[in-house]
Amino acid sequence: MADNNTFDAIVVGSGISGGWAAKELTERGLKVIMLERGHNIEHGKGYEQSNKPVWEYPHRGGRTQEMIADYPFLKRDYPLNERNLHYWASDKDNPYTETKRFDWFRGYHVGGRSLMWGRQSYRWSEIDFKANEKEGIAIPWPIGYKDLEDWYTHVEKFAGIQGSYENLPQLPDSHFLPAMELNVVEKDVAARIKKHYNNKRTLIIGRTAHITGPLGHSPQRTNCQYRDMCWNGCEFGAYFSTQSSTLPAAMATGKLTLRPFSIVTEIIYDKDTKTAKGVRVIDAETKQTYEYFSKIVFLCASALNSAWVLMNSATDIWPDGLGSSSGELGHNVIDHHFRVGASGEVEGYDNKYYFGHRPTGFYIPRFRNLDGEKRDYLRGFGYQGGASRNGWGREVAELSIGADLKDALSEPGGWRIGSTAFGETLPYHDNKITLDKNVKDKWGLPVLNFDVEFKENEKKMRVDMKADMKEMLEIAGVKNVREYDADNAPGMGIHEMGVARMGRDPKSSVLNGNNQVWDCKNVFVTDGACMTSASCVNPSLTYMALTARAAAFAVNELKKLNV
Amino acid sequence: MNRRDLLKMVAAATGGVVIGGEFFLAGCTNPEAKIGIGVDFTESDIAFLDEVAETIFPKTATPGAKDAKVGQFMTVMVKDCYDEKDQKAFRAGMTSLDEACKAKHGHSFMKASPEHRKELLVALDKERGEYQKTKKSEDPNHYFQYFKQLTIMGFFTSKEGREGATNYKPVPGKYDGDVDYKKGDKVLTGLN
Repeated sequence: MADNNTFDAIVVGSGISGGWAAKELTERGLKVIMLERGHNIEHGKGYEQSNKPVWEYPHRGGRTQEMIADYPFLKRDYPLNERNLHYWASDKDNPYTETKRFDWFRGYHVGGRSLMWGRQSYRWSEIDFKANEKEGIAIPWPIGYKDLEDWYTHVEKFAGIQGSYENLPQLPDSHFLPAMELNVVEKDVAARIKKHYNNKRTLIIGRTAHITGPLGHSPQRTNCQYRDMCWNGCEFGAYFSTQSSTLPAAMATGKLTLRPFSIVTEIIYDKDTKTAKGVRVIDAETKQTYEYFSKIVFLCASALNSAWVLMNSATDIWPDGLGSSSGELGHNVIDHHFRVGASGEVEGYDNKYYFGHRPTGFYIPRFRNLDGEKRDYLRGFGYQGGASRNGWGREVAELSIGADLKDALSEPGGWRIGSTAFGETLPYHDNKITLDKNVKDKWGLPVLNFDVEFKENEKKMRVDMKADMKEMLEIAGVKNVREYDADNAPGMGIHEMGVARMGRDPKSSVLNGNNQVWDCKNVFVTDGACMTSASCVNPSLTYMALTARAAAFAVNELKKLNV
Repeated sequence: MNRRDLLKMVAAATGGVVIGGEFFLAGCTNPEAKIGIGVDFTESDIAFLDEVAETIFPKTATPGAKDAKVGQFMTVMVKDCYDEKDQKAFRAGMTSLDEACKAKHGHSFMKASPEHRKELLVALDKERGEYQKTKKSEDPNHYFQYFKQLTIMGFFTSKEGREGATNYKPVPGKYDGDVDYKKGDKVLTGLN
């Protein structure tokens, strides 16, 4: 084999998890290649639309009929838009099949979805890690909050997370940069909720991976400028992405090779040593096949694609793929369920406004099924929302047309406040993905089939998700409060998890407590695939912590020659 | 996931009031609709639409719809974004509007005085409001709905509209959640 095809470690994928794996492994001295299936996007240079005002888009950021025809999956929600369309994977090149509807929104380029993510960043609590075990749902987690606590701190110090210290048992505080501010209406509503529920419910600033103060180790990053242009890529590097944060750190070690256009098709498994030798790759542009070799492999291809790689690997030993001996590979697909809540009008603040385009809203941490409460469903939900004044898009029923209407819409309208809940979804064995060999993608590779649905627990939870928001808003004095429960399919949350879950027992899980594949200990899976349950908080910060922890473990094991 | 559209989504689900003031759009809303058959607009169509838009948003101390090239914008949106049903309704609406002008004032819209144009569109807007309240969701919109919405959207997403009629702050550099507001202060807008 050629020397330049051999590394200490291969990292598959360059999103949030892959970027962290590359950083931690190179900083611990390993020579690493990071394989990304899509094209390269360079920090700053690759963000052509970062400063582009709305009028420079012919359709002002909207969607055309042609886009709708070209993107049968992406069209199902907001990602189909004129602004950052080139950040979303082509549905035509990358089809999938649906036994049941699943909205799969993918980012195939360097940085993956770290460029377009919502940036909401929350720690899990011990309540989350213990829930499966306590309730007898699925399988217990092999780790608890204490195992991850220091790793959360480690990644937070580097990524930069803004938020407020609240000392809540169900939502542990992070190591925070100065918090972004709630606006005057949100503060008022927060105070009223807090008082009415006797501190049992709180409305806080949404914690996000934006920097609001200097990070000594990342001088290339600048504080948030409050443009609310994050999803176009931020040339200030104000929000955490692979490009702004982990990739420069990994590159600075001189030990990282980044290879875009590299679709990993399988892990090369050696049955004599029972370890992985490396990976097989198709070049996305030339369709040529390459092999790369390494001592360890970090699979961070995004949850469902990491499972896809495993399903395609070592099939001569295990027909359902590497890591399938438990029968759980590809099962237990989880996503958060949301798009349910309430909103209303706020009176009495016509003499107040705000300045700046804040890239986060408020967060109401989980309050259900805590402290011994027992609803008719398990687990809980949090809310994300915001208060703002209506803009030019509002109806002004009392005005017809003419200068009066133009002048009225040139001023802000009344205040509104609204939010959606994000609920925990339980892991169900029969919510699964499988390989569909009858359909091939652009490169002739089999695609995924989805058979996933929300079930009774989620449906029952949604009753509270809607009613609780209405009640809180009404208690806070909000007028004309209206509930809603919108179209919500699995996948829309873009929080895919669970398909290669961690566990204590190789008979019922794919990974052990250090993210190692039970059947092949030098392969680590640290993206959403590893999650044994979902919590109700956004998961990315936990992927960062798990990846950093697994990388440290892997390097130690390499030193001890255990892998 | 990017939750930029969170509030818009909440708003849409609670009855279409758009929070924070982004755009609303008559077409482009039904992802399953038939793709547009292709419509063409001539220079005189654009001139006509410009005059309709200017009547809806006339130039005053702040720019008007013609300054923002709203006529041209309307044709791009109808051609590229509208589905077939909305395209047909928009096209037919151009004729209906002109015919309504002839019936009311005895000559075409292009020949009408600004006062007559305004009188006509005020009447059509009233008709629109009543129709939209009672129409079934699968029925097309009243044609004046398209003209009015595209004018508002086209104007407030244009350079001229943003810079001339709003408090346009592309790079605020800070966030202050509690500033005093007095009537007449402009709506805050940015790059989005």
